[in-house]
Parts: sequence; C-alpha cells; structure tokens
Amino acid sequence: MTRNGDQLILSRILKSLVTRDSASIHLLETITAGLNIRFSVRANGSLICGEELDGDFEFILEEDACEYGKIICDSSEGKIVADLIKSLVKKEFEKKRIGSEVLGLYREINMIYNFSAMISEKIDDISIAETALKEASQIIDTTHGSFFLLDTEEDEVIELASFGENPNKQSVPGQQNILKGLISRGTAAIVPSKLVALNPALNHLKSVMFAPLKVKHRSLGLVILGHENEKEFTAAELKLLTTIAIQSAGAIESAQLYQKGLREAREREEAIRIIHEASQKFVPHEFIKSLGKERITEVELGDQVEREVTVMFVDIREFTTLSESMAPKENFFFINSFNKRMGPIVRANEGLIMQYLGDGFMALFPKGAQYALRASVQMQEALKEYNCERISKNRTPVKMGVGMQNGKLIMGITGDVLRMDAAIISDTVNTAARIEGLSKFYGTSILLTKNCLDDLTDASEFNFRYLGPVKVKGKEHTIDLYECIDGDEKSLLEHKLVSMNVFERGMDLFFKKEFAMAAVTFQEVLKQHKEDYTAKLFLNRAAQLITQEIEDDWKGVVAMDKK
Amino acid sequence: MTNMNKKLLIVDDEAHIRMLIEQTLEELEDEGVEMFFAENGQDALELIKNEKPDLVFLDVMMPKLNGMEVCQKVKKELGLHEVYIILLTAKGQEVDRQNGLDMGADRYMTKPFDPDEMLDVATEILIGVK
Repeated sequence: MTRNGDQLILSRILKSLVTRDSASIHLLETITAGLNIRFSVRANGSLICGEELDGDFEFILEEDACEYGKIICDSSEGKIVADLIKSLVKKEFEKKRIGSEVLGLYREINMIYNFSAMISEKIDDISIAETALKEASQIIDTTHGSFFLLDTEEDEVIELASFGENPNKQSVPGQQNILKGLISRGTAAIVPSKLVALNPALNHLKSVMFAPLKVKHRSLGLVILGHENEKEFTAAELKLLTTIAIQSAGAIESAQLYQKGLREAREREEAIRIIHEASQKFVPHEFIKSLGKERITEVELGDQVEREVTVMFVDIREFTTLSESMAPKENFFFINSFNKRMGPIVRANEGLIMQYLGDGFMALFPKGAQYALRASVQMQEALKEYNCERISKNRTPVKMGVGMQNGKLIMGITGDVLRMDAAIISDTVNTAARIEGLSKFYGTSILLTKNCLDDLTDASEFNFRYLGPVKVKGKEHTIDLYECIDGDEKSLLEHKLVSMNVFERGMDLFFKKEFAMAAVTFQEVLKQHKEDYTAKLFLNRAAQLITQEIEDDWKGVVAMDKK
Repeated sequence: MTNMNKKLLIVDDEAHIRMLIEQTLEELEDEGVEMFFAENGQDALELIKNEKPDLVFLDVMMPKLNGMEVCQKVKKELGLHEVYIILLTAKGQEVDRQNGLDMGADRYMTKPFDPDEMLDVATEILIGVK
C-alpha cells in the first residue's frame, strides 16, 4: 500500500471514529468531561469534529511517520486525547490492513475457484490457454503473457495463446531450445532483471516470471508472464501463477485425453463403417433392409420375410465351350469383366444381385417386372458394347440369355449359428431358372412369363412376341411365355418389328392346328432374317406336326423335361 | 448526491465473512453509507426492525434463525418490502435459490462471492449508479 493510500485510510478511520463510532465517541466524551478540557479534530485541512478553537496546544496525529490529522486543545492534557485517538486509529488501521490482505487472498481463492470451474469445461487446448492468461492477468499486475505447449510428437514448442505486444516473437534463434529446457526443468521462477535484459527474446520486458505446466512428474509446457515496466514479481505472485499453471496442466491433460478418446471413437466408427460397407458387398443392404434390419450385425438366424418380386436369371451362353479355350485365370478375369458391367445396371434399376453362379447370376427386383425388364434390355445393350470391345481384341463375342418370373418368395437367413448366409426360398426361383434355360431353346435374348407381363406398369415401353405355353419339369400348370425383343441385335430387332404381324398370324395358325399354313407363314418370316431362331423353331415344329396324328386336346404345350 | 441516510446490514455467523464483506464495501462508507453487522438471525431481525436498512446481505446457513426465516419474517410478516435483501448461499446449494426467492428475497448470490460483483450490486442499489 502506498503512503498516500495509507494516509487516506488513516484519515478515513479517524473521521469514522470521532463522528460515527458511538463507543469511541462516548469514550472521548467521558475522558474530556473528566479532564474538563475541550478539543477539536482536523484532518486534510478541515475541521471534522468539535468547535473551532484558538487553542494553544496542537498534537499531531501520525502513524509510522504518516500524518493524518491533528488535535487542537485548550490544555496540554489534550495529549491524552491525542494518544487515545492514535491508539484507537492504529488498532482500526491494523484491522483494516489485515482485512485488506484477507480480501486479497479471498479474491485469489475466488479467482482460482472460478478458474477451475471454467477450465474444467474446456475441451480444447487453446481456450484453456486463453482462459489461463486472462485470469492470470486479472489477478497479477502484468502486461505480457504467453502460454506454451510442448508438442511431443513434433518435438516443438507451440504458443497457444498470448497477450501484450511482442516485437521479438518471430526472430529469436534458439528460443525453441530455451523453452524446451525450461519445460523439461519443470520449476517455476522469477527471472532476475539482469538476465531479462540480456535475453533477446525478453528484452522488450523489464521483469519476467514463469511456471511449468506440470501434471504429476511430467511437464507439458510453460506459462510466462512479464511486465514492460520496472516491477519485481513477488513470491506470492509466482505462487499464484504456479497454481494457475497446475490447474491448466490438469485441464489440458484431460482435454487431450478427451480428444484422444474422441479420435479413437471416430476411428472405431470408421472401421465399423468399412466393415459394414464390405459386408454389404456380400449381402446386399437391400436384403438386410427387407428383413427390417439396418445392419448385418442385427440379423439373426431364422429372420425371414415374404415378398412379391421379379426373379431374374442371367446366363452366359455356351460358357463351357468358351471356357475350354481359356486358362482358369483368364476365365476368372472374363467372368469378372462380364459381372462388372452387369452389376451396376441391376442396381441402377433397384435390383439386387442375390448370387453369382459362375457363368451368370441371379438377381431380385423388389419393384417388379418393369424394372427387371428395363435392366434386361440395358444389359443386352451393354453386352453389345462389350462384344465390340472383344471383337477389336480378336476375342469371340459372347451371348447372354435372360429369363424371369414373378412371384412370392421368402428372403431369410439360413445356416447355423456359426455359418450363416442370406438365402431365398421359393418356387419362383426354380421357375425363373427354368425360364432362363428355355431362352436358349427358343433362341430368345430375354424370355419372360405371363406373370411378369401382367406385372408391368407400362407394357408399351417394350415389344413382345407370344411364344405359347410351356410345361416345365415337375410343374402341374402350364406357363405362357413371351419374348421381349428390345434387347436383340439391331437388325434382328428391326426384322421382328416389321414381321410382327406375320409372326403372330403364324402362331395363330399353329395353335389352330393349321400346321401347313403355319409352316408357310413362319417360312415367310424366316426368309426375311435367317437368325430369327424362334421362327425357325416354330417352322420345324409345324412341319413335324403336319404328318403326325394330333390329339383332340392338343394345346401346343411344350413339355420341357430337361432342366 | 447525499446518501447520509443509507444503511447497509451485513448478516453472517462467520466473523471473517462479515469482515470480508465490510472490506469489500468499504468505499461505500465514503459515500455516507452506514454499516451494521449481525452474527445471527435474531439480531438481524431486531436490527432490521429498528434501523430499516436499505440493503441486507443475509447469509442463509445460520444457527437459531436462518436467513430464509429472517427473509420471510421481514417480507411476509413485517411487510418491509423496501428492505432489499440479498441472500448469500454456498455454491453447490443452488436448490435454495427458488426457495429463497419464494421467501421474498430480492436477489441471490453465491459464496465464495465475487468481490467486484458484490460492490457493483451494492453501489447500484444504495447509490443508484454502477
């Protein structure tokens, strides 16, 4: 406390004692009455108590050579009054001084209390550093501050926060090593002013002190405070700074642990996401979703659901012959290169590939035949492009048969607790597979059943030829077959469109058992395009039937005994 | 502006808290504010009845008559609404808050109190400026 400050406080106490404090006033009155004297008190040049006296006796009121008032008295015995007042003021002054010190300590406690609460909420280094410097500067008289953290991975000291202008910030060589040294030493200190002046990094300051950021036995960094004016940092201030540094270090460690935990959690999530993504490639997400589950991990043995879908089989024609000319590895590349082209088309039409079958695959279209047929046509288009590529590389072009059937199926998880797989159980699947097999017999690129045709939301998008009923192995009922010609090679498609009416007439004659006329009609169609294998098939069948005896209930059903 | 009649009462059973508050609000004495002290609820109630202070810092946790009861008596029974009462409660006992306001307290402060905030609040209430 300064002299002026002391003087102000002393005169304030004096005024309070002689004007407000009833106990002191009473005491003074009793004494002056007993001594039969009169007195007045002056402070700061004005009368604060008693009447204006022309007294001869003047007694200076002072404390530790600091004058704060005087007593004017009509008697020399006024000295007793003066001594009494001095003693009362002194006591009060000491009380106030202690009070002021206690209040100072209380402010510190309050600051540390608030500081702890504040930084314990922070989860990043920088806001901890900023808070620490802000709080330190509020309780410690300082003009400059820096908060450094040692990045152990980079072996570099980083300044997280600072205040006060620092002209030496950029350009001091060796500063990193000095800071590292101070951090590893791990002790707090007030830098002697001579050393401050000598240090090029600090010469904009007059006084400096620092404290390490210590957690247990490790030192994470350093807090430095400085003052640009002549000022000695006190031991009490260093202790405060040390307390702030320790609190900050704890908070920084928690924040780092928190960030680490967060990072690890993110990495775990990412790993799970990758696994999830990989698992989707083996069991389509659509399949899992159909079971009412979000993730493959939620799926249980025995989960199942019944759906009405279009089942499609795709097969590479004459794969066996083709594969004989290739090495196994080449074969595998060929299959992959084929599948790579077809898979995206299936998905683009909201289908899912249920199973790869070596020379083809099975796909499901939950949205029905419109989507499945669209995919079929697009796949035949893609195959044409692929064939162009193959021809340019002197490879044999390939053909692909597509067959489909609509119906209910059960999607589910089968197997045992240690080995599970997504499976579909349905008669529809068997039929679809048979239909695809028939597409070779009928010489069609896309073959579908009446069920599929009936399921179409817009049949006009495609062109069909009716191919009559068929009875597949192991089935009681006959199935009406249609070919979709839109996937055919261009000239064949054009031919089929042009000859559509003629072909239909041929079929009509055929089923009316007018086989001779039918044969002539199919001959007419075939003449226009030699590769119309379907027309050729019916021409042959009609020709055969001409000479045969026909039963009354003949319906032209083709009985397919082979698979 | 004269504040000769302004009166401030500090009520706490702990002597060092009374001293701290006195020290914190010391400069108000220069403005003519008169300070009174009480170390329990009963004394406080007597002082409030007799002196009608303008502002009371009232600790909640006190023996005999606690701060809540004093507050209730002053505001509800004696109807001394012009006595501005600030309740002081230890941090972490904030449940008291609503309770205190229900008893008619005008404001609420936690201990350890922030000396600067306390001086600001007292100055505003007693002198009218912050």
